[in-house]
Amino acid sequence: MNKPQSKSVLLEIRGLKIDGYSDETWVPIIKGVDLTLRRGEVLGLIGESGAGKSTIGAAAMGYARDGTRISEGSIEFDGMELTTATSAEKRALRGSRIAYVAQSAAASFNPAHKLIDQHTEAPLHYRIKKRMEAQEDAMELYERLRLPSPREIGFRYPHQVSGGQLQRAMTAMAMSCRPDLIIFDEPTTALDVTTQIEVLAAVRDIVDQFNTAAIYITHDLAVVAQMADAIKVLLKGEEVEHAPTEKMLDAPEEEYTKSLWAVRSFKRPQKSRPEDDSKPVISVQGVDAAYTGGAKVLDDVSFDIYPGMTVAVVGESGSGKSTAARVITGLLPPMKGEVLCRGAALPPRYQDRTREQLRQAQMIYQMADTALNPKSRISDIIGRPAQFYSGLKGPMLKQRVDELLDLIELDPANFYNRFPPELSGGQKQRIGIARALAAEPEFIICDEVTSALDQLVAEGILKLLDRLQRELGLAYMFITHDLATVRSIADEVVVMQNGRVVEQGAKEEMFTPPHHPYTDLLLSSVPEMDPNWLTTLLEERGVDNIGEAARV
Amino acid sequence: MRDILGLVAKRLGLGLVTLLVVSVLIFFAVELLPGDIAQAVLGQMATEETLARLREELGLGRPAIVRYFDWLAGAVTGDFGTSLIDGEPVTAKITDRFVSTLFLAAYAAVIAVPFAITLGIIVALLRNSIFDRVANVVTLTSISSPEFFLGYILILYLAVKWSMFPAIASISSGMTLLELLERTFLPALTLVLVVTAHMMRMTRAAIINLLASPYIEMARLKGAPPWKVIVKHALPNAWAPIINVVALNLAYLVTGVVLVEVVFVYPGIGQLLVDAVAKRDFPIVQACCLIFAATFILLNLAADVGAILTNPRLRHPK
Amino acid sequence: MSMFVIGYYAALIAASCIAAYFQNRQAFMLLFSLTLVSFVLGIVGGVPALQGVTIFAGILALAAGTSYAFREFLIQVSRPAIAKELRTAPLTAAFGMFVIFTYAIAGIFAPWIAPFGQSEVIASAFEPPNEDMLLGADQLGRDMFSRIVYGARNSVGLALLATILAFVIGALAGLYSAVKGGWLDQLSGRVADVIMSVPSLIFALLMLSIFGTYLWVIVVVVAIIYSPRVFRLTRAVAGNVVVMDYVEAAKLRGEGDWHLIRKEILPNSTAPLIAEFGLEFCFVFLLIAGLSFLGLGIQPPTADWGSMVRENATLISFGDITPLIPAAAIALLTVAVNFVVDWMLFRSSGLKEQ
Repeated sequence: MNKPQSKSVLLEIRGLKIDGYSDETWVPIIKGVDLTLRRGEVLGLIGESGAGKSTIGAAAMGYARDGTRISEGSIEFDGMELTTATSAEKRALRGSRIAYVAQSAAASFNPAHKLIDQHTEAPLHYRIKKRMEAQEDAMELYERLRLPSPREIGFRYPHQVSGGQLQRAMTAMAMSCRPDLIIFDEPTTALDVTTQIEVLAAVRDIVDQFNTAAIYITHDLAVVAQMADAIKVLLKGEEVEHAPTEKMLDAPEEEYTKSLWAVRSFKRPQKSRPEDDSKPVISVQGVDAAYTGGAKVLDDVSFDIYPGMTVAVVGESGSGKSTAARVITGLLPPMKGEVLCRGAALPPRYQDRTREQLRQAQMIYQMADTALNPKSRISDIIGRPAQFYSGLKGPMLKQRVDELLDLIELDPANFYNRFPPELSGGQKQRIGIARALAAEPEFIICDEVTSALDQLVAEGILKLLDRLQRELGLAYMFITHDLATVRSIADEVVVMQNGRVVEQGAKEEMFTPPHHPYTDLLLSSVPEMDPNWLTTLLEERGVDNIGEAARV
Repeated sequence: MRDILGLVAKRLGLGLVTLLVVSVLIFFAVELLPGDIAQAVLGQMATEETLARLREELGLGRPAIVRYFDWLAGAVTGDFGTSLIDGEPVTAKITDRFVSTLFLAAYAAVIAVPFAITLGIIVALLRNSIFDRVANVVTLTSISSPEFFLGYILILYLAVKWSMFPAIASISSGMTLLELLERTFLPALTLVLVVTAHMMRMTRAAIINLLASPYIEMARLKGAPPWKVIVKHALPNAWAPIINVVALNLAYLVTGVVLVEVVFVYPGIGQLLVDAVAKRDFPIVQACCLIFAATFILLNLAADVGAILTNPRLRHPK
Repeated sequence: MSMFVIGYYAALIAASCIAAYFQNRQAFMLLFSLTLVSFVLGIVGGVPALQGVTIFAGILALAAGTSYAFREFLIQVSRPAIAKELRTAPLTAAFGMFVIFTYAIAGIFAPWIAPFGQSEVIASAFEPPNEDMLLGADQLGRDMFSRIVYGARNSVGLALLATILAFVIGALAGLYSAVKGGWLDQLSGRVADVIMSVPSLIFALLMLSIFGTYLWVIVVVVAIIYSPRVFRLTRAVAGNVVVMDYVEAAKLRGEGDWHLIRKEILPNSTAPLIAEFGLEFCFVFLLIAGLSFLGLGIQPPTADWGSMVRENATLISFGDITPLIPAAAIALLTVAVNFVVDWMLFRSSGLKEQ
């Protein structure tokens, strides 16, 4: 992977500053970044949300998105200064010499044209190839990227092709003019882990084969470790550290980088089910469910959650894990089967449940932005359940809210009167937790609570949840697709696929072979920090089998 | 393809049902009349005798539901009954005037539609420039003005002060097309001004909405020049909203035409309706309302069918 | 060539040059294209056309100045949070607010502002303006200016009443449909579809022909005609809010519908609803003006702008602008409201769309 450093420089960015327009003024979002990229080299740009990775990626093409402007610095691509180039000159580079692969292929392909017509647009526009040649070439690229039926797939429309395949088709499209540089802007973020592998493998192969230079933008360290020769870490528009991949992983220098690397280290001992004959807080028994007029989403799902324990429900999108939560809360009445709370059956519809029953099960949501009413004060958000269930008023209520804020480690004096939009993502998630606690429940459903957060913040939330569980004896149903989270806090694991429970049991058992084939696929697909992980995995699975292995 | 046909058929069926419901509404609204039609026509001073005779004549003795189906059956075959005022058949009164109204609306549409869509696309391309802002102010002003305001301004300048066009759009059957076009130029222009502004704004909004899509950014990053981004990447996806804009505005023309006909004393169906309302000649009011509503529903239907037919996702199902 | 024409072109060209020198590309393009257009205009229309342009530019500058000053005034007297919003208002929006403010004053204080009563006959028919009568007399010899002032009270008041009624009906139905869903939602959606499938003016004419042209009939009929628009918008906005997790959380807590509407949904739907209120007012106002113009709205002798246009329409053939004055009063208010709404919509949609 490591190529000699003596190759000629392709892209050179010096002192780049970019402003973004917000609140009627221009504020700097990139504050002086340098970057050097040689031919055939792959540079990983990583950082948390708001670090400016994507903006730099666009700037490398001389492109400033609406609402941003390049205010200072130079961007030199193969001897041409892009900051002063005319728009026609810059346009002539795009698609032919610099290509772009976007995060969401489904949204970035034009729904009105066939894939192959979009593929051949740039080569035809630049008169590099004739139509027939360009189409032949597209089919060849599709084949190299291991797309199924490469000679026909191009003649489909984007909505007729699956997400992982579209992402590969987009990589093929970027290759259509054999550019010198490709910008990959989080190309696998929207995909499931098992689909991610095929795209990663395809991207790496094609970049290697054509010796194309690339900038790979992502927030996932393990992914970038597979792809890049060198890594640049960004924080709030500034460079933190830049080093070759191996060195960066083994011996990061800066504190911030080290903390990023250390995130995945949080782990707590596994608890086991209570010895006495206490009943599970929540017991899901033989539940079938479907949305109105749709196919079955849950098929004979059963699992138990005992007091004080964390049960992680794992699966990819569409596996039915969130639907299971909707059945438990009563938002979606099951077609068959029932949900028991402490051995007593709950009414299927939440409208028919008593306040006491509703109080028992609380929820914490994935998107803290949509989970809190932006027009309510924090004191009202947390105070309302306490008032509603326990009838607290006046000073008693205020005291309870203060207690809850203390519990989630936020200073009451500082947050009591504020509104959610003024808070950071992590703080909002904490308020969401406090709202759930205010009902004094025994059981909390955590729906992907950490997946929208940056890693450091997510770790804080996990630690908080763990502490609360110990102090208050809560039971958690932890819905997630992230196996690292499962490793760190689960006691038991339920693996779901296509609406069925594939496997369940104590965590330690689940993480030691032998596994159910699907569990195995899931586990092995989670990228690891080892730069050789992908290579090894592909060898194990057999190269030709990656795409299809994911479909088992 | 079967999906599309299914959707279109479903939409057509829905349109038909709506039309039926509207016909019920139009017919039974008159039944809500305090007293009854005979009373309303003859007024408080009428004697019992004359009232009874008129009731007999109108068949008011029969239940409303029966009269509704009679009326509907008549309407479908082009017979809307007779006028309460002069006893002439309604259909004869309406036919010529309806044709005149359609002529005026079509005249306006033929000028306004291509003009507005082209301007809308240009303004979308030049968005946020000073021309865009000027266009925004001008179109807003135009859609905010009542039709009669624009109409009288045009009369004042183009007819009275500069004597370029006739102020009163009187037409007769013997005129050549050119004469007709000249006589009806001012009412058509009034409609064009109002409708163009509406259509331009909506076209601009539809296109700008699309320009925010990731696939447009992708097209730009593939090196497509601005005109190609619009023509090749935005436009094929913009047909549905644009067709919608056009249909909506043609439907708007149907309403606007009433006021404009009054301003320019144009012998269309709108004038007839206004007169009939003033004289409480219900068969004519009902017939006109049904015709206007049917046109309106038909245009909305056309928009929806157009949107279905141009949707690539529906045209090429999985 | 008169001094005026020389001065006219000199001013335009100088302004163009200044704009070019300060690299204000847009101002330059505008000024210089105006110069070029003026050449054509000057040749075709002669000096009067150029004078027209000058007067128009003068009026525009005056309006811009007033708007600027009015915006500053509003910023000074408002609370900081509102002042911050106001600072983003373009001049057009400030102009709109100024006009609305003026109309409100005229409407509220009509009896004190108007020199004569609205049905007081004080002169002979169509008497030209003199120092007693700012705008002359109408077809019965009543003071035009007084009637315009009273019209601000009658026409606008009636439209406002109808708008509020339409809004209450539409918004309540929309909010309840969004929260309840199910058959109630379906039913109100279908009813709205049917009402909207009849052109509004036609619907109004039908109803007025049946129930007669009483004020309450106009208000109720117009409210019914336009409430489906409010319903659809509210339903859509509230529909977007209802799917938010915080509403789900409140539902699962066991909160009642009214709490959901009042505390969770309404506070998060106000911005588009306020803008819609403005738009709705424009529609209602124009519809009622149209009805009045057709003689089916507010009945004489009450002063009403739509009817005033109709009553004085014959004057137009003599080149008299009197009937245009009430029509302009209608247009000006609608433009003003639209300017403000345009700004509000721009604010609430964020800068993304642009």
